Amino acid sequence: MEIIDLKNVTKFYGNFKAVDSVSFSVEPGRIFGILGPNGAGKTSTIRMINYITVPDQGSITIEGKPVGRESQEHIGYLPEERGLYKKMKVGEQLLYLVQLKGLSKADAKRSIKYWLGRFEASDWINKHVHELSKGMQQKIQFIVTIAHDPDIYIFDEPFSGLDPINSELLKKVIIELRDKGKTIIFATHRMEQVEQMCDDIALFNRGKAILQGKLSDVKRSFGRNTVILEFDGDASFIDELENVRVNNRSTNFAEIRLLNGTSEQTILEKAVNNVKIRKFEFVQPSLNEIFISTVGEDNIKNNQLG
Amino acid sequence: MNLTKLFLIIKREYLTRLKSKTFIISTILAPIFILAMFLVPILMTNFGGSSNEQVIIVDHAGGVANHLVKLNPNRYINEKYASVDTLRSEVIHGQISGFIVITPKVVNGSEKPELVYSGNGGITFTQSVRSDLQTAIRDALLSKTNVNPDVKSIMERSIHLQTKKLTKSGEEKQNTDMLFVVGYFMAIGIYMAMFIYGSLIMRGVIEEKTSRIIEIMASSAKPFELLLGKVLGVGALGATQFLIWVVSISGITTFGAPFIVHALGGKSTSAVQSANSANMALQMPHIGAGLWIFFILFFVLGYLMYSALFAAVGSAADSETDVQQLTFPITIPIILPIMFLTSVTANPGSTFAVVTSMIPLFSPILMIARMAVSSVPLWQSLGSVVLMILTFLGLMWLSSRVYRVGILMYGKKPSFKEIAKWIRYN
Repeated sequence: MEIIDLKNVTKFYGNFKAVDSVSFSVEPGRIFGILGPNGAGKTSTIRMINYITVPDQGSITIEGKPVGRESQEHIGYLPEERGLYKKMKVGEQLLYLVQLKGLSKADAKRSIKYWLGRFEASDWINKHVHELSKGMQQKIQFIVTIAHDPDIYIFDEPFSGLDPINSELLKKVIIELRDKGKTIIFATHRMEQVEQMCDDIALFNRGKAILQGKLSDVKRSFGRNTVILEFDGDASFIDELENVRVNNRSTNFAEIRLLNGTSEQTILEKAVNNVKIRKFEFVQPSLNEIFISTVGEDNIKNNQLG
Repeated sequence: MNLTKLFLIIKREYLTRLKSKTFIISTILAPIFILAMFLVPILMTNFGGSSNEQVIIVDHAGGVANHLVKLNPNRYINEKYASVDTLRSEVIHGQISGFIVITPKVVNGSEKPELVYSGNGGITFTQSVRSDLQTAIRDALLSKTNVNPDVKSIMERSIHLQTKKLTKSGEEKQNTDMLFVVGYFMAIGIYMAMFIYGSLIMRGVIEEKTSRIIEIMASSAKPFELLLGKVLGVGALGATQFLIWVVSISGITTFGAPFIVHALGGKSTSAVQSANSANMALQMPHIGAGLWIFFILFFVLGYLMYSALFAAVGSAADSETDVQQLTFPITIPIILPIMFLTSVTANPGSTFAVVTSMIPLFSPILMIARMAVSSVPLWQSLGSVVLMILTFLGLMWLSSRVYRVGILMYGKKPSFKEIAKWIRYN
């Protein structure tokens, strides 16, 4: 039984179709990735799930009921554009924002105290936000997102602008929430950050969900078509390979996508003749590769149509 | 509408501003500033003013000096035989303020009288000397020529106009000049309130947008609740501030004015006179309860209408720098009535005054001014209130449509055409 369900959702801004007949559903207790380049309609979709804006066509339900004031209180939302009231004290601000999500004052206080303790931020309660460092502000922002203990969490580009310590902290919290049975939606264009975390994905391009399903199924459907090569020596032979696309290349590393039925054996032969191989692996494509090829093909198709 | 959330929003908007330094400082400084506006002229007339100016009159024509001394014995001293050179050096050394030599040619008009003075005393000093001299020369001529005593008395009579305002409840013995002052004060007070609190709202909206907190707010409450909470929270702040001012200013005038008079009293008769007249200026003329009620009503409605407009502008702006261009269309209807104020109060019953004061966006300034200086028919005053309420509701609807789209638009300044489009969005 899905917890979030979108059916043929369409959103216009003026004449611009930001979201074009998108349908997908999110199952409870899983991490769902909304992936796509900038301007693909991710944030527009998320805003509609959050009931910040409403679709022009189609429907969005959460636990079987149309989204509305009530569903807002069951969602913890970390927007891409983050911010807090600069001139308010941390404690007052958290209390205000958490109470706005429907918690009583006492419950809000208890939860805020717990999370401030968890994030080693209890000393900041009487500080103004503008006195905090950026990293500290990010921690407060997490607490705003999660302190009302919702069932659904929506993170829009959660790792952008985070320092490594806060990145790790957020990952830990997200895994912990998932283990507690909460549902999590990610929206991002940074594939490598979510690849290890997502259970399901929907790939957006130009307002449409062009690919979706379980991440493992999606990967399997692309088959083993990628060679991971680590080597010592002159890498120039890679430039001479035909019917391949090279991703993620550095001085002694290359991720090579095989196209048009090219055999991995061809690559191996060429490599043996030119360099000293340290690692040769024949694998499923990375999410990044799937993303680039799917979006690339989609754009080519659209350009031909246009 | 979720009242718990609305109340939370109002509380935050009110309390964070109440505790801000800007609010505390402006609340303290404004009465001091107003007090200074009254006190400075009093002190000026006392210490730098005409009361201590001594002018020596050297009267070669005869008769004029006596009349001058009669007019103001503190100022004019008749010294027929003083030498001009001595007087010059006395002026230079500050022993006297100035002197005038009156020759027969001055009296018959073929020569202009000359006031030689130190340059202190300002325009009020020279003006009063001019009018004194004119009266004195006229009187001197009248007494020399053998005119009919009736003509003489007509010429000498100075006219003091007394004014009475006639209303249905009877004659009010009141200085109508003071009613103009009241009308102006009320109109300017509302004007400043609309501007100051309106832009406070606008800056609040822009701050939420630029700090990006708005996305969190929009996922927690309806845009309309956010907007209304802001309008009511800042409104409560404005009411608090005005209340503090009214209480402190009436306290100052009740207890402070006699103290000022006392402090200045006894120095010279004219100092007491000017202090007394200042005391009169500080004492508000009697204002009926009806006018007060309408003042509060116009104050509140004026604030509400313009706060809706300012909030819409704030939501459309992307940064403080966009504001100037976007506020332009809404500052026009605030400034226009201030420009009409003089002609409307001078002619409160004219068609122009009636029509302009009935325009809802002008009413808060013009109708209250008309009501202060004249009796406005009830259908006009109540009619303008009804029109303002309707306008407020319309503007609030319009503003909330712009607001809900505008707050989520980052990174570009919209054109007015685009803003008009937002109103039609779903």
